[in-house]
Amino acid sequence: MVCAEHHFHVNNPKKAAIRVVALYPNPVIRFPIVCRQCDEPECAKACPTDAIKIVDRIVRIDQGLCTNCLSCVDACPYSAIFTHADVSVPIKCDLCSGSPRCVPACPKAALKVTEHIEDQPRLRAKTVEYARFKEVSLPASAGGNIVIRYAGGGRSK
Amino acid sequence: MKIKGGYFKKILNIDLTRRAAKETDVSDDFALKYVGGRGWGARITWENLQPVLDPLSPDNLVTIAPGPLNGLLVPASGKTSFSCISPATGLYADSNMGGSFGAEMRMAGLDAVCIRGRAPNLSYLWIDDGRVEIRNAEEFRGRSATETERELKDELGGDDVRVATIGPAGENGVVFATVNSDWGRNAGRTGMGLVLGSKNLKAIAIRGTHDLPVYDIEALLEVSNRAFDYLMHHPSIGIWQRQGLMSVVDYANAVGFLPTRNFTDAHFEGAVRVNGDVMESIYKIGDSACFACPMCCSNICLVKSGRWKGTVCEGPEYETAAMFGPNLGIDDFSFILKANELCDGLGMDTISTANLIGMVIEAAEKGLLGKSDLGDLALGWGNQESILRLIEMIARGEGIGAYLGKGSKGLLARWPELKRITLQVKGLEQSAYDSRASLCMALAYGTCDIGAHHNRAWPISKELQMGRDWGLKEKVDLVMYHQAVRPLFDMLGVCRLPWIELSIDENLYAEMYSAVVGIPFTLQDLLQKSKAVYDLTRSISVKLGVRRIDDYPPPRTFNDPIISGPFAGKVADPKEYEAMLDMYYERRGWDRETGIPKRETLVSDGLEDVAAELERTLGGVR
Repeated sequence: MVCAEHHFHVNNPKKAAIRVVALYPNPVIRFPIVCRQCDEPECAKACPTDAIKIVDRIVRIDQGLCTNCLSCVDACPYSAIFTHADVSVPIKCDLCSGSPRCVPACPKAALKVTEHIEDQPRLRAKTVEYARFKEVSLPASAGGNIVIRYAGGGRSK
Repeated sequence: MKIKGGYFKKILNIDLTRRAAKETDVSDDFALKYVGGRGWGARITWENLQPVLDPLSPDNLVTIAPGPLNGLLVPASGKTSFSCISPATGLYADSNMGGSFGAEMRMAGLDAVCIRGRAPNLSYLWIDDGRVEIRNAEEFRGRSATETERELKDELGGDDVRVATIGPAGENGVVFATVNSDWGRNAGRTGMGLVLGSKNLKAIAIRGTHDLPVYDIEALLEVSNRAFDYLMHHPSIGIWQRQGLMSVVDYANAVGFLPTRNFTDAHFEGAVRVNGDVMESIYKIGDSACFACPMCCSNICLVKSGRWKGTVCEGPEYETAAMFGPNLGIDDFSFILKANELCDGLGMDTISTANLIGMVIEAAEKGLLGKSDLGDLALGWGNQESILRLIEMIARGEGIGAYLGKGSKGLLARWPELKRITLQVKGLEQSAYDSRASLCMALAYGTCDIGAHHNRAWPISKELQMGRDWGLKEKVDLVMYHQAVRPLFDMLGVCRLPWIELSIDENLYAEMYSAVVGIPFTLQDLLQKSKAVYDLTRSISVKLGVRRIDDYPPPRTFNDPIISGPFAGKVADPKEYEAMLDMYYERRGWDRETGIPKRETLVSDGLEDVAAELERTLGGVR
């Protein structure tokens, strides 16, 4: 909600550039969907008017060039570009030009901005460790097995 | 006064019999006077009240109202009230759920949805940004609430859609059936699920995209940032995020109000095996939060091995753990999860379910119920299989389960001799706090407008902290303050836990409401509105027959001493209770003999019409 408030000055999470997906009961996981600021963005390749460009390593939509054809929404492999009837261009994370408001707002400190830097493998390894799925398998009443997966992250201290 | 924000000023009225949907406008006066949530629900219930109303008739109108702070960027703004006449008590009732259902209703451009009538077939409502469809839900008949939610979400648009559902219990006449949303958030008490079930309404799905109306968003954010800051820097935020209400188990056991074996005791020897630490270290696999809540008190738990392996549910919180654990003599946390998962799926209130099962176990042990009543059900403290079987029997209306499904009132009509071991007030089963050590809590149960529930007042920790010598007047004052401020949170559509657990300044909510509606209100102004709503809900129940005699805690509170723990040997003193009740009526402006609100009290609340109507129907209010 801080995202929508910052960009549109309204209280409306449906105008945010970050969304949370909740999967339940199997697997049990909640995760955010937000633009990853790709080095070679599919959205930019799909844009017929070249409105999407990388500026200061942030993938931006030039509102003046955008025709709201929504090709980028379809092209994004992470479904991280959103739309809203009131907004004349697709809604996409611009990292608040460098200091994203969502990061300090998250009460669980679950969001972090990571650079494409030499430390990334280590950070990613930690993330993978957190998100590595564990499984419990049990016989289903209808025969066969049910496998319940969950992110075995260990607890926050 | 003219409202500048905070409300869409629209109520969606659904008539399932006529398959009609109509939006009506709300006046500024109505919106401000009753604020929202439970306040709106109480007024709308009053206006639709009929002299003789079967709670399961199509005429019992359900109001679902989120409240003006719901869905806003303020802490824990996800509380939505369901109000109507309860099938459990036959009186006014409201029950609220957390999650994000109410926020979505507001984003759909609605302040409330009122539902009456009865659909010819099992149906669900699909409200998409204000467009309404009544759709067939026969394929979901008998299906669990959680499965129904998952399937409806997948069908209608995934996580953009919020769904509230009932389970089989709500289809099968259980008077403590719940409405379930976000897989584990229930409008749990007083049988809201059965009222929807009686209307042949399996689910309500909502999606919305509107901006929420806020008069001064800068001012709102300024206040809410202070509130978030306070909560995030609170020394107890860590334990709250990790254990939520489960941390209360140890506290309740240590100070001596943990319900044990149908409230015969208030201290459980096996509490350390069902406490927050056990939940956190062995079972917890994830956190879950209601809308905009930094406390994320909900825990997702999984049983990874053993008899109940594969059980997964959101919860339990304290009530469920205490009622299905110690109250049934159980010290196996995995069983509590199993019972919680089962009740969530069946759409059944864990408090009432476990309360009544505890009573039946005690009755079986004491020989008050025999083989002819119980069949081959081998009930006993800690007997896990038989308890799970009884839960299923309640939901399906089989054997003795059919009587349990009728709640305390139904059970006592069949077996009046069970009254002395039944923990209920006004037909609603008592929640998980023993009140023998706390007269305040006894008064809270006795005078709570929906029955023996802790939602209106939870004065027990403050009273125990103040010690035994605290005066009766202070105790009455504390209960009354709680009964004003706690329902206020339900009117605004926010959670009370930041206040009761992390002591956030309640004045902040007056500041937030003022910024949202564009009219300055003090906390005192809002507490006065909340008091008026309490007098209104009392008036509804008075019109339906409630009097002083109904305002007493369960007999056990006065009769059976606590067995062990810090308060061993203690019962509540009936004389002191009488004195407190006298004082309470006096301070409320209710008649001391009858408990009926006095005319001048209702007039000072701005409820002249209610006073006149009570005079007309009761032949003069004293």
